[in-house]
Amino acid sequence: MWLKMFEPSGPTTCLVMKVSDMEKELRQEAGKLLEEGTVDYIIGFAPGSLKFTTTPLITEDIDEINNLVINPFINNNLAKYLPEIPGRVGIIAKGCDSRSIVSLIQDKQIARQDIVILGIPCSGLVDLKKVEKLAGKERDKIDDIVVLADKVCITAGGEKKEVPTTEVLFDHCLGCELQIPKEYDFLIQEPAAEIRDYESSSKQIQELKKMSPDQRWAFWKEQFGHCIRCYACRQVCPACFCERCFVEESQPRWVSPVSQWQDNLIFQAIRTIHVAGRCTDCGECERVCPVNIPLRSLSKEMYDLVGEMFDYKTGMDVNAPALMTAYELVEAEGLIR
Amino acid sequence: MITKKINKKDIRKLLGTWNQECSVIVPTREQGIVEMAGWDNKDISFLDWYRNTVVPPKACFLPQSEVMISFQKKENGLKIEVPQDEHKQIIFGIRPCDARAVAIIDQVFADTYDDYYYSSKRRNTLLIGLSCSNPYDSCFCTSTDVNPTESEDVDLMFMDIGDEYVIEEITSGGKALLNTSSMIKKATKADINKAKEVRAASVDKLKKKVDTKDVDRKLQSCFNDIDYWEQVSAKCISCGICTFLCPTCFCFDINDEMIKKHGARYRGWDSCSFRSYTKMPMENPREEKWRRVRQRVCHKFEFYPMNLGINACTGCGRCIRLCPVNWDITQVIAGLPGEISVHSGK
Amino acid sequence: MTITQIKQRKKDLDRENNVYMPHIVLVDKIIEETPSVRTIHFHFKDAKLNNEFTFESGQFAELSIFGVGEATFCISSSPTRKDHLECGINRVGLVTNALHRLGVGAEIGFRGPYGNHFPLDLMCGKNLVFIGGGIGLAPLRSLIWNVLDNRDKYGKIDIIYGARSVSDLCFKYDLDTWEEDKTLNTVITVDKGDGKWRGKEGFVSEVLRDAAPSCGNTIAIVCGPPIMIRSTFPVLEQLGFTPDQVITTLEKRMKCGIGKCGRCNIGNLYVCRDGPVFSYSRIKDFISDEY
Repeated sequence: MWLKMFEPSGPTTCLVMKVSDMEKELRQEAGKLLEEGTVDYIIGFAPGSLKFTTTPLITEDIDEINNLVINPFINNNLAKYLPEIPGRVGIIAKGCDSRSIVSLIQDKQIARQDIVILGIPCSGLVDLKKVEKLAGKERDKIDDIVVLADKVCITAGGEKKEVPTTEVLFDHCLGCELQIPKEYDFLIQEPAAEIRDYESSSKQIQELKKMSPDQRWAFWKEQFGHCIRCYACRQVCPACFCERCFVEESQPRWVSPVSQWQDNLIFQAIRTIHVAGRCTDCGECERVCPVNIPLRSLSKEMYDLVGEMFDYKTGMDVNAPALMTAYELVEAEGLIR
Repeated sequence: MITKKINKKDIRKLLGTWNQECSVIVPTREQGIVEMAGWDNKDISFLDWYRNTVVPPKACFLPQSEVMISFQKKENGLKIEVPQDEHKQIIFGIRPCDARAVAIIDQVFADTYDDYYYSSKRRNTLLIGLSCSNPYDSCFCTSTDVNPTESEDVDLMFMDIGDEYVIEEITSGGKALLNTSSMIKKATKADINKAKEVRAASVDKLKKKVDTKDVDRKLQSCFNDIDYWEQVSAKCISCGICTFLCPTCFCFDINDEMIKKHGARYRGWDSCSFRSYTKMPMENPREEKWRRVRQRVCHKFEFYPMNLGINACTGCGRCIRLCPVNWDITQVIAGLPGEISVHSGK
Repeated sequence: MTITQIKQRKKDLDRENNVYMPHIVLVDKIIEETPSVRTIHFHFKDAKLNNEFTFESGQFAELSIFGVGEATFCISSSPTRKDHLECGINRVGLVTNALHRLGVGAEIGFRGPYGNHFPLDLMCGKNLVFIGGGIGLAPLRSLIWNVLDNRDKYGKIDIIYGARSVSDLCFKYDLDTWEEDKTLNTVITVDKGDGKWRGKEGFVSEVLRDAAPSCGNTIAIVCGPPIMIRSTFPVLEQLGFTPDQVITTLEKRMKCGIGKCGRCNIGNLYVCRDGPVFSYSRIKDFISDEY
């Protein structure tokens, strides 16, 4: 639980943070893996250069192990890096990360024996955009965010505000299906606080569903008018591991390289379909979008559709075949006519 | 030098006056992000606390995508047209860091061959700067020779001193904008003193600092230090955020589109972070991620100074605060083999 | 003219002088060189331009098919032969495929010439060794014909050209002419012959080593795929050529052709603006090995 690391007294931002027991344990284990040569690299989280941020740490240097942190701002899905890092890798994994790792193994992008999964329990990550809204201040003007299991204390400009944790966690965390990794080599034995709000988790999707098709079309047209085609959504997504992406293909050209809302939308629509069965609803695509397009409304909807149609949850079982490679005769009935 | 001033409540009126003559572009808030957009008499009181646009003002001259040539298939051949874009515009509220960036890419588009599309927009634009007294923790403009409250790269420079803006007239074009307005008053000594205080306080607020002196020389010496580049590029995910949203990144792509009988040649932003950027059919000189990361850093701090005598980074901090993985260019600069010190904004 | 009219005229001129605006050229003739390379001959639709247009060997241009896109090609004909222009087109991508579908009479876009050129003044009075590989003969060919049309200005001339296979040899009609020309020494090689092939077999660098042209008062001009260029430089060094005596032309992905779009840089240099022709001594001083 975060409770352990964020003591209620004293300033406890992620920058000046006491080393928690969890971190101690993690560093010890990660250090051992490097030292004994079990792995060539450790992938984890280090403090970021800005307030309330963390940054991926990819290292073969044992001295850097002491930079490893666990806090409510470790939002990157580190599984992304696995296919590109050579050798044996020890990776720190939250539940959702572990699902992406398993999915990559299912898709034969990485080999299970090359990965040492250091599982950590996760009670949810703090969505800074939500905190900013609640505090009425931008991230760097907020003094402190203290997560106390079901309550969060936000201090900004001398004002202290206490809100239920459900109001600051990422939407996808509010609907989390795996807080503690199922697939791991080492697990930090701590319980995770069960903080859920399924309604809020899919609020945006429900709102979109209430719209008429015309309204919905207008909504996405507007949204994708802002898209700058930076491909951060694709680049940050562990499920997007294709060597050649359809966007860059010119013969035939599936999507125009010219950024226009129609093509931006088609890009995202195709991407959403391509990651069906691989998407674990980690929410990274939406978090990284510099122009705030609510991309999870697409990916989560697809995630739910996959669940309904195929009774399949991505990355839950390392021995299960990947959805798109598993074909059962009965499936064709509904799909191909 | 500060000579004039205007009361904040007259600003909308002033913009309105200008808007009759030409289009006025101001920071505009939409779905939580601030972009430069045409002013439609909207409330702009958020300028008091707004910090900077997500998309830099370079987009006013080098849009994310634009038509270069349009064509139409006719029976007697192809009709080819170049769009005419010569309308006058005023960009109000550009920050000194972004104004410097515009001055930097001006050089690129004027160099050797004049770039019609950029120049035709640029030469019809007046820039009105707005001093910045509320930097992000990712901002480091004072390290890149930019003063957040001063700029020679604009036509007029506005500075917030409370209820009023004091104004510096930088160019004759800027001066002419003020001539016709009765809302413009002469700045008093007291105003100028107030401005001095604001200036000192604003500069003081910039805590993030990196020593950029000698960076070009250091980059030269560690250019082939592959270990360093591999290490600093490891967490980069090769997206286009840092380049697209960088006010000095100008790289572009040219592509055609044709639907039935109508088509156009477009240009749009491109990024050296993308593997496809330099990809040729048989090989790719920057296939590896570390080469692409090195290119970005070296272009800003080594190649640019070599070619045009100036660092192509103005410390706006967008690439740091918008990066999905918190890849921080100041850390990379500070960490270059050799000693350069960095102080974080914490 | 009123001031407004003058201003309007200036604007129109700016628009007309827009460097990105292609001229229209008409395809006169198409020669299929190899299964994947064709040469197109073309001239300007605007008769005035046919007379006014000048270029130098080594310069390149942007050819475009409206609605498909632009791509970069060196001009493979010689500036000494003015009746038309030629470009060799290797079918590799979107635009080149479209150029391969074209027929005689087609209208395409042309802008250029861009870049620097081979230093003819430096080559004057010297022996020349032309070393080419595959489609790399295209820029070289412009220079070779340029030199041959002023044959008395130059000393001994060697041409060493190779391709992967017999069917990949480009400009066979030129190769034939050069082989028959007693004032030149022409050596053609293929990596692997096809049974009927009577010429040499082996890589260009190997054939060059065997041919061992003398380095005295000589300039070597190398043009071909990067792998060939890289393997040729050491051989030339062994033969005693100093880096100043070796000239090459580099190929990079380009879009604008005029040093703005950014992608063709090698360190601080833009191949389109500062090249594409470089001496080996200059390349050795490049900041980067990204060529």
